[in-house]
Amino acid sequence: MAEYFGVRHLSPACGFFVTQFLERVKPDIVLIEGPSDLSGLIAPLCSDKAIMPAAILAYTEQAPVRTVMYPVAEFSPEYRAMLWATDNEVPVRFCDLPSGCALYSDNENEDAQQEKIPSKGESVYSRLERISGLDNDTFWEYTFEHCESYDDFIKAVEKYGSHLREFSEPEKYTELREAFMRRTIAEAEKEYSNIAVITGAFHTCALKGKSCTAEDIKLTEKLDTVSVKSTLMPYSYYRLSSRSGYGAGSKAPGYYEILWNNRLRGTLDDAQTEYLSRIAASQRKNGFAASSAEVIEGVRLAGTLCSMRGGRLPSMSDLRDAAVTCMGHGSFGEISIACADVEIGTKIGELPEGTVCTSVQEDFMRQLKELKLERFRKAKDEELELDLRENIRVKTEKSAFLDLNRSFFFHRLRICGIGFCVKTERPQDNATWAEKWKISWSPETEIQIVEASLNGDTIQAAAEYTLNMRLLSAENLAETAEVLSDAFECGLAECVKTAVKAVQRLAVNCASPSDAGATIHRLSGIIRFGSIRRIDTAPIAPLIQQLFLRFCLQAGSASICGEDAAEELVTALSRVNDACLAHDFLDTDRFLTLLYELSDSDRVNPLISGFACAVLTERGKISAEKLSALISRRLSRSNPPQEGALWFEGLSRKNRRSLISRLSIWEKLAEFIAALDDEEFKPVLICLRRTFGEFSPSEKSDIAENIGEVLGLNAQEAAEFVMTEMTDEEQQTIAELDDFDFGDI
Amino acid sequence: MNENNILRLPAEKQFQSEIEALIANEKNPVPTGWKMSPKSVLTYIMGGKSGGTVITPKYMGDRRIVEICIATLVTDRALLLIGEPGTAKSWLSEHLTAAINGDSSLVIQGTAGTTEEQIRYSWNYAMLLAKGPSFESLVKTPVYTAMERGAIARIEEISRCASEVQDALISILSEKRITIPELGEELAAKKGFSVIATANTRDKGVNEMSSALKRRFNIVVLPAPEDMETEINIVSTRVAQLADDFCLNAKLPERSAVEKVVTIFRELRSGQTLDGQVKVKPTAGVLSSAEAISLLVNSMALAGSFGNGKVTDAELAGALQGAIVKDDDKDKAVWTEYLENVMRKKGRGFASLYEECREING
Repeated sequence: MAEYFGVRHLSPACGFFVTQFLERVKPDIVLIEGPSDLSGLIAPLCSDKAIMPAAILAYTEQAPVRTVMYPVAEFSPEYRAMLWATDNEVPVRFCDLPSGCALYSDNENEDAQQEKIPSKGESVYSRLERISGLDNDTFWEYTFEHCESYDDFIKAVEKYGSHLREFSEPEKYTELREAFMRRTIAEAEKEYSNIAVITGAFHTCALKGKSCTAEDIKLTEKLDTVSVKSTLMPYSYYRLSSRSGYGAGSKAPGYYEILWNNRLRGTLDDAQTEYLSRIAASQRKNGFAASSAEVIEGVRLAGTLCSMRGGRLPSMSDLRDAAVTCMGHGSFGEISIACADVEIGTKIGELPEGTVCTSVQEDFMRQLKELKLERFRKAKDEELELDLRENIRVKTEKSAFLDLNRSFFFHRLRICGIGFCVKTERPQDNATWAEKWKISWSPETEIQIVEASLNGDTIQAAAEYTLNMRLLSAENLAETAEVLSDAFECGLAECVKTAVKAVQRLAVNCASPSDAGATIHRLSGIIRFGSIRRIDTAPIAPLIQQLFLRFCLQAGSASICGEDAAEELVTALSRVNDACLAHDFLDTDRFLTLLYELSDSDRVNPLISGFACAVLTERGKISAEKLSALISRRLSRSNPPQEGALWFEGLSRKNRRSLISRLSIWEKLAEFIAALDDEEFKPVLICLRRTFGEFSPSEKSDIAENIGEVLGLNAQEAAEFVMTEMTDEEQQTIAELDDFDFGDI
Repeated sequence: MNENNILRLPAEKQFQSEIEALIANEKNPVPTGWKMSPKSVLTYIMGGKSGGTVITPKYMGDRRIVEICIATLVTDRALLLIGEPGTAKSWLSEHLTAAINGDSSLVIQGTAGTTEEQIRYSWNYAMLLAKGPSFESLVKTPVYTAMERGAIARIEEISRCASEVQDALISILSEKRITIPELGEELAAKKGFSVIATANTRDKGVNEMSSALKRRFNIVVLPAPEDMETEINIVSTRVAQLADDFCLNAKLPERSAVEKVVTIFRELRSGQTLDGQVKVKPTAGVLSSAEAISLLVNSMALAGSFGNGKVTDAELAGALQGAIVKDDDKDKAVWTEYLENVMRKKGRGFASLYEECREING
């Protein structure tokens, strides 16, 4: 004999009465609408320490991973039924199609799970809205949520379910599910005499009093299914509300929790006051004024609104409208944040150790605990700054490197595609020992973690696997070097070794000096700050040496190039120079020779030549006479003037201070400019404007002083002249230069 | 006086039969001081049926807003309707009082010249001099009368009143009584007394309402009509009613004409075309449904008096010009831009209107 109880998912009233129902029926077994292959997850879900909302997650074994979720909240009737069964030691099982079938169906899997009832023409819900003049949720709340009599409720729900059924079109997938449920119930009847069946009210009338027919057996004999794995995952109220629609979601889980708690206390009438008081509290927290008088007026208004529509207690829409009118001064915008706070809430679930089923989830939780990050597991964004250096004031090694290990953990999550944390740039402070992360948790995070479980059993293993895959598919030096530096940031020593080998292999064929420069920069960074991440950087040094040698050999010929390539080379030169200064294992003389060649050669691009000269000046490896000679030669009349200007731009890329302090340079520059005729002046002006555009205002005023000196003006006057606003006419002339055609420069 | 000669009948006279039908068929409890139950008031405003009488809809828009207004008055709170000009604030308040009290005449028009005496009470000075302070020499204001009767007083454009006048309302609304120190008396409001005030969002800067006063009101914001269909319905219904009142010698404008006007108004109001493809500069003036109504009535008057009795594109163009280009050159530029960039591309339906408008706009 089977007894049936029809529910609406996530309805507190159903959750309340289902317990009473079970108390009365005292079944030998409880069957609940849910994937029959996942009955094993009921026990961990009902564990004492589990905090709802949580969800059962089934996912396909093969990529691309498709998932289906069965979320429950504290007040879900299904969850209450499970709890009752567990407490009373009555067996409890799911009786719906296995999760594999849901994932097999080609429909959007979520749709298949929700009891969407498409029908030709008017849907049963819009029909209900038209006739009752109430929206769905309000109708449900007036009729069911505010009902306090068990007998009335049972009758009303039954009627509701059968009417829904009467006015909806049959759907194939639903029929299959119901056939399967009938079959499961029939099978259970063989074993048990007193069965309680908890399903959606819509299904109840298809099950109640209907026996399992031969057709049902035929229909469910061979099911289309895919192989799935399953696990439990914490869920959030926010996610519950965004998946709303009939069935799997609820628009206002926070509000329903208020209803649930008040119903448990037997004070259902107080739910309205609690809602409005919470709105007021939240308003105050957000900096708006909200008085108790307004709450009182709100309660009165909500009461009148509800009685005008024939309700006994105000529904959420009555309460919200009252709040808008009394607290929001007529505009919803003013209380929208408070509404989201109270109606949806930020609650997230928690599952104790040993209840989740993928080892990666457990690993994630364990690491959170170990790294003292548990407080960040919430829906709100929070920032965390890390100091990777050893903390010498603490005793244990574990706490000394806490931040470093956190950083490893975050980087590994990043590599695994788990969006728990995002690294934010620290614009002014590029200290390599500091990192800043933005952290927040959402059910999506949990899904990503479960997905990562396909790549390994721990976060570390999954990250390693991902990096190795990337290494295999990487085609050029830059990509490979990126993997290397990622591996390094993740603290994956093994992975670093493999990546070093890959870089080595590719470096042999590296033809472009700018690529080599970029890679040297990356690798040099790893060596310089390697100690902070406590990873052996020894194998990287020979790599840099190798690339350095290649660079020195190739840069000379590569420097005979156009302007775009010259920019890249200048960047590369500057990076190699930095590396050269940082590491004494590099052959400095070789690099200097290269620089001499570049600075002296008339064939290479003048920008590079100028820059080489600048580097030499900075290092003090060029004598004042030599520099002076070079400047004269470059700025002499026989050269095309724009080349001279370009060269000067290269020269001014570095150590501007020392340039500014050398008066001779400015004298030469003044001579050079004075000798130009108008046509020649234009391209030169463009280059010089670009050059000096990058100078800071104080540098500019120093230059003005120099110029003043050269031209025999006093410094004050010169500075004044430079700082005066341009006249419109001058602006015009300069604007015209924007269209200047450089021809074949 | 013959009622037919009156330019505009008050709502309770104009819809007398409907109100009587609603009262006759009352089934729900009626609050003290009210003529009918809140539900019947809702039916009166939103339309429906009572017994055999068809109740015409007075307010076309969100039913929920009207529910909130009525519920506010049931809880004896004062009601403040705010919104853009022409969103039927006064219209709604008049009909609410007509249905609730059967009397929409207790109204104070808020102006910069409104004084405190006009809110509380004043004196008939001749009588005062002759007889001294007494109830006979007291001149009652609409608010005073409403308190005496347990009725609802209306205050139009409350934000145009000076702040001391607004403040005079505070004590009335919280204490629900007026003291008359001259007579050593006190008037306590009867049950059913309340106030409906209206305020214009565009007038915000005139006299900002104090938060003390605001707290005594439940505030309901009336929105501009949500969709095109509703607005067309509002406009054509009202135009038909007004045409009746004014005995204009012209046929009602065709639906296509109403549609054109509403389209142009909605586009200029929202700053983009209906399909959201083109950005439109908004005008300085407010283009409300009320403005559209008066525009159409205006063109009917033009057609009746000078044209062939039919509203053609020429009349529409003239009226549009007047409604949209209020006074400054900016509006003219906006209108020109709209004509060239939007209306010209609207196809055949708008072609002749475009020509006419362009000619007038010059």
